Amino acid sequence: MDPANTPLGRMLVEEITPVVMVLCTPLVEESCLKNSLSFVEMLSPFCSFNNIDVPVRTASDQPYRLQKFKLRLFYASDIRQPNLEVAKERLKQVITQAGEKDDLCSDPPHFSNLLASSESGIQPSWFEYFNKELVRTMSFSDHESFDHPVACLLVVSSKDEQPINRFVDLFNTNKLPSLLNDGAMDPKILKHYLLVHDNQDSTQEKAAKILTEMRSTFGSNECQLLCINSSPHGLVERPENPWAPYKCDPSPSQCLGCFLNIDDFNKIKDLMQDLSSKHIIPYMEQKIRVLNQQVSATRKGLRNQIKNLWWRKGKEDVADSPDGPMYTFSSIESQIRVLGDYAFMLRDYELALSNYRLISTDYKLDKAWKRYAGVQEMIGLAFFMLDQSRKEAEYCMENAFSTYLKIGPSGQQNATRCGLWWVEMLKTRDQYTDAASVYFRICGEEPLHSAVMLEQASYCYLLSKPPMLRKFGFHLVLSGDRYKKCDQIKHAIRTYRSAVSVFEGITWGHINDHVHFHIGQWYGILGMYDLAVKHMLEVLACSHQSKITQEFFLRDFLQIVQKTGKTFEVLKLQLPKVNISSLKVVFDDHRTYASPAAATVGESLWHSLEEDMIPSLSTAKTNWLDLQSKLIPKKYRESNVCVAGEAVKVDIEFKNPLQIPISISSVSLICELSVRSDEMESALASGANSFLIVGADASSKTAELQNDDDFINLTTNRDMSSENSSFTSSEVDFSLGGGETTVVQLTVTPKVEGILQIVGVRWKLSDSVIGLHNFDSNHMKKKNTKGKRKAKPAPRDNLKFIVIKGLPKLEGFIHSLPEKAYAGDIRHLVLELRNQSEFTVQNLKMKISDPRFLNIGDQENLKTEFPSCLEKKKASEQSGVHGSSNNLSQTVFLFPKDTSIQGKTPLLWPLWLRAAVPGYISLYITVYYEMGDISSIIKYRTLRMHYDLQVLPSLDISFQISPCPSRLQEFLVRMDVVNSTSSESFQVHQLSSVGHQWEISLLQHVDTIFPSQSLMAGQALSCFFMLKSCRKSLTSQDEISTLSPLLGSDVRLGPEGSNEPLFDICSSPLADFHHCERLHLGMSHQGDPNTVDFILITRPVKDNIIPGVSNPPHLFSHHACYCSTSSTSPISWQVDGPHTLYHDFSASFYEINLRMIIYNSADAVASVRINTFDSTNSSGHLSEGTTTVSTDPSGDQAGWRDASVVNDIKVTSDVGGSRAGKSLSVESVPPFIWSGTSSTRIQLEPMSTSEIPLQICVFSPGIYDLSNYVLHWKVVSSNDPGNQEGASRSSGTCQGYPYYLSVLQSS
Amino acid sequence: MATTACFIIVSRNDIPIYEAEVGSTAKREDAAQLHQFILHAALDIVQDLAWTTSAMFLKAIDRFNDLVVSVYVTAGHTRFMLLHDSRNDDGIKSFFQEVHELYIKILLNPLYLPGSRITSSHFDTKVRGLARKYL
Repeated sequence: MDPANTPLGRMLVEEITPVVMVLCTPLVEESCLKNSLSFVEMLSPFCSFNNIDVPVRTASDQPYRLQKFKLRLFYASDIRQPNLEVAKERLKQVITQAGEKDDLCSDPPHFSNLLASSESGIQPSWFEYFNKELVRTMSFSDHESFDHPVACLLVVSSKDEQPINRFVDLFNTNKLPSLLNDGAMDPKILKHYLLVHDNQDSTQEKAAKILTEMRSTFGSNECQLLCINSSPHGLVERPENPWAPYKCDPSPSQCLGCFLNIDDFNKIKDLMQDLSSKHIIPYMEQKIRVLNQQVSATRKGLRNQIKNLWWRKGKEDVADSPDGPMYTFSSIESQIRVLGDYAFMLRDYELALSNYRLISTDYKLDKAWKRYAGVQEMIGLAFFMLDQSRKEAEYCMENAFSTYLKIGPSGQQNATRCGLWWVEMLKTRDQYTDAASVYFRICGEEPLHSAVMLEQASYCYLLSKPPMLRKFGFHLVLSGDRYKKCDQIKHAIRTYRSAVSVFEGITWGHINDHVHFHIGQWYGILGMYDLAVKHMLEVLACSHQSKITQEFFLRDFLQIVQKTGKTFEVLKLQLPKVNISSLKVVFDDHRTYASPAAATVGESLWHSLEEDMIPSLSTAKTNWLDLQSKLIPKKYRESNVCVAGEAVKVDIEFKNPLQIPISISSVSLICELSVRSDEMESALASGANSFLIVGADASSKTAELQNDDDFINLTTNRDMSSENSSFTSSEVDFSLGGGETTVVQLTVTPKVEGILQIVGVRWKLSDSVIGLHNFDSNHMKKKNTKGKRKAKPAPRDNLKFIVIKGLPKLEGFIHSLPEKAYAGDIRHLVLELRNQSEFTVQNLKMKISDPRFLNIGDQENLKTEFPSCLEKKKASEQSGVHGSSNNLSQTVFLFPKDTSIQGKTPLLWPLWLRAAVPGYISLYITVYYEMGDISSIIKYRTLRMHYDLQVLPSLDISFQISPCPSRLQEFLVRMDVVNSTSSESFQVHQLSSVGHQWEISLLQHVDTIFPSQSLMAGQALSCFFMLKSCRKSLTSQDEISTLSPLLGSDVRLGPEGSNEPLFDICSSPLADFHHCERLHLGMSHQGDPNTVDFILITRPVKDNIIPGVSNPPHLFSHHACYCSTSSTSPISWQVDGPHTLYHDFSASFYEINLRMIIYNSADAVASVRINTFDSTNSSGHLSEGTTTVSTDPSGDQAGWRDASVVNDIKVTSDVGGSRAGKSLSVESVPPFIWSGTSSTRIQLEPMSTSEIPLQICVFSPGIYDLSNYVLHWKVVSSNDPGNQEGASRSSGTCQGYPYYLSVLQSS
Repeated sequence: MATTACFIIVSRNDIPIYEAEVGSTAKREDAAQLHQFILHAALDIVQDLAWTTSAMFLKAIDRFNDLVVSVYVTAGHTRFMLLHDSRNDDGIKSFFQEVHELYIKILLNPLYLPGSRITSSHFDTKVRGLARKYL
């Protein structure tokens, strides 16, 4: 690539050209101004030659031809260093003008578009102009000579008096620029004399006369005549005006050069060409040759160089001024510089380079830093133009740049120019990254300039390969900040907006906030509030910022919004955040809810509860869906159904992401209700979509409130909408503290039939901005209470409702249901059902989830007093109470047939509550009812109630039953009661055994073991009771026990002599709850006659009840079911007979008759063999038998469940073992023998007893232990061979009980 | 200790997953965004440099006025970027290496999803401790 064709090359060829100083008289100017041009302006278009084709020969002998050439014309008065302040002002104007042109409203190009466009298209076009202007502010410096005039053009008008004298006067030193006067350049320069003649003033004759005079005075070659304004009418039209680009501020009214016709044109052109090719170029050639000879003579060659070095060393003590020593034009240094510059201007870059290098070392040694830098700069440029040694060129530029900076503020301007050239050089070589860093270095203190430079740097990053977008964005932002500092807000916005596209979508929070906030703020300053608000919205949810910043952002935002004077509606406003996944819709179709809590319960739970009650699902579906499909299009068949006049509730969660409180008002739902048109229902004829905002219920609740000072201020405003609208509406106001989350319940209540669509939610932030949020996004999950009927609904359809005609709706609640109760607590409650509409409902049914906790009472005990109604009454009254237990057989409670609820009269129904087990208990109650006499697609509805109950543990009760060894059918019962509450005290009132086959009695009076009567917190109590089975025969009693299991016997545990009434465990709630407890424990024990149930009734100690508060009377019942009485073997026996006998042994031995009663408690026939053996002759055999007995049961116990029984058996068998040992050791025991058969076998029917006669013979008085017998038993499992338990203990051996018999000698 | 230092961990998706101002000077309100700007822009340089060397520590790769950006790139292309004004190359290298160990420990946590924000307060205290020690 030819360096001359690069941007920098073109710039150098245009800018580093010979300067011609113009000196003219005022009359010349006057003539020119007729064309509204100055003289220099008039000539300027003709100063650049694209095809001059002049042969040039400089120092070398080889001539070359110049094609392009340019002269720069300046008035003498302009040839001085421009005033910095003026220059700055002009540059500022350039920037401001460029800023005005920008269209701030349209979107800036996205960086990807920028990348696609060509290089020149990326940067704003005014950059080039700005750079040129900036470079021009540095012209006419005395340290470089290419701005020094090469020639002088003296111009006099033909109208001037004494033109010759005028010429002489013009070149008067007083008026000449300082450069010529102070010796910086040679005042003897080439002079050219020009006579300007205005054709409008007079004919050319006078001018021709003056010209001849001039020629005789100044020499014929140096004088010329220029005739202008040849067109008399001033109406010269030309297709393109050559002056236009040269005039800075073209005023449209004047036509430039209107008096110049084509002749004038050509004359000016010829004049300038003649001037440059015949005068200036030859002059420069000649000057180069002369100077070159001079330089060669003094400086070239080894001898000269050494001399020069030595001479310069001697000058080291020169004062170190920034400009270095003053060099006059005659000094050799200046001459070398001039030589170099002239060579450069004539494109002999080799010559220029060698001379610059020569002078560079000199300047360096002289510490003339500014000149040194200037020369280095030129070396770099010369290298560039020669297109060689890129490295060195860059090094030189860098060197020049840093040297300029080194000399302080005066060098700053030069450094800027040097930098710009350097940047251009790098850009030409595609080193954009380096170029960008150079731009960055150019930035000085002047913020406006650095802003432009930074912006250019940013574009360099964009152009680099690969594009460095982040750097691009960063530098744009930096540049924007500088623009803002200079009040160039439009530029600032432009740069920031370009940067936005880069930072789009990144998660570097501070960056995004900074950019958007500032754009918003600046738009605000410019008064473009709409755009300002748009950008400010981006920064509102800045949760990562500090609290101060958040406040600042929000305040500025609200200020700007206020300035706009209108309320904005913003879709997806980020304050507060709407948690869509939390959206929850609750509505009533055929399912109605008594409380919000009931609506949160899962549908499947309700469904299982209602299964038995409602008409079977399939028929219900066909019933009303069939109806529905007739009434409504298929499209809506899947929609939800809601009832006119009943609210659809929507729960939405709002979150404040900021640390500062924000206030939200007028939160409401956006809804559409399309009223059903005539084809479907003729009744309603009102029009199409009606928009309505439907408001929030007053029962909004807060969740996870972190600050106590949070409050929700609700204003219900139900009648906001107009009367004829099909909705009612209300609004919610609240304020959210920092980081808080609030769930708001909004409701919509349709008034007429139709199709209701919930579109979204709207709210007002700080009374100024309205936020909207539509619910139609895909990730919306509707946590609906819908059941199986809606398998996969489209999200949007979930919020679509078919509104049907108003229906009666039951409201129900339970009075005085406690939230907390101790286990065992029995309460009397009342259920109230109300129907607000005038239609009746009928056919009521009710079901309760857990009958252990809640039981339905009889209507007659609505009025009865609790707990006295439970007290035991006389036997005659008892019969009526038992009827209620029939309720339990069916799980669904049917209200009496004639029950109907209408109008204001509520239905009251008693309920019994018993806190059965500790824990958090959820109670579900569902009431089914049918519409009375209105026809609707909904035939029935259900009312669902839900209550939570916390049950605290109160008393832990355990029973231990062990059979009495010596008594048949009697058991010892140990009751352990532990009060596990933390503070409550209980008074044990009564213990009842359930079932009439058991009789319970106190073994020991309570007062003796438990004198204080009340069980304090943490206290434990153990009581012993005697339990007696009064069952006589198997078959008849078994039936009775199943029919009426709740007859029982009671033991009063109160203080002795108290006459508090006992409670009747057979009465309705107690018996029902007991039945439930039995059911809960399972059916496997059912019918097992060896188990016993206990009910312990306690009351809280009266002291604990706070006086003044009317506490309901408390009663606690604790049920223990299926306490097993069975022991190791199904066989129990008792040896019955006398204990002390008198006999005269002198007469004969004594035969004693005994009998053994054996009871079979198994449910199968048992065969028992009784072996008796005499102690004397078979002692060894006995010991063997003992060991088998003691080991056998333990082996059998392997699969047993009841551990307590195992322990008992071990104890007994151990006793047997020790006793056997003792019987062996006592040798002196007088013998007795069993008489009769030594082995008897009998068959025992299940649950039956039988008696076996036994006889012993005693030969001497003494005490006899009749334990030496063994019972072998075998249970014949009758009809169920697979019965595991029967198989495992189908046989066994029992050692006899000790039975002591004292036989005394009778006197 | 450095007067200004800003440490950021950038995930491979160019998302900052951990930020800490570890300088000793009082935090200025506008400093945070300037630091983010500088570090974000330096990613452009890292992007080029990371593939030119096998070393993880890339030394000082970018500068803005008197602030220098040092970068350490892990094998998973997570970038630890430190903006600092001190010239303590060895200290910075040790700092990065120790933070890398901490970061690996974070990665080993099965409950940490790679590329998500590091919220562990233990990590934070450790990093600040290391900054005091080395910078």
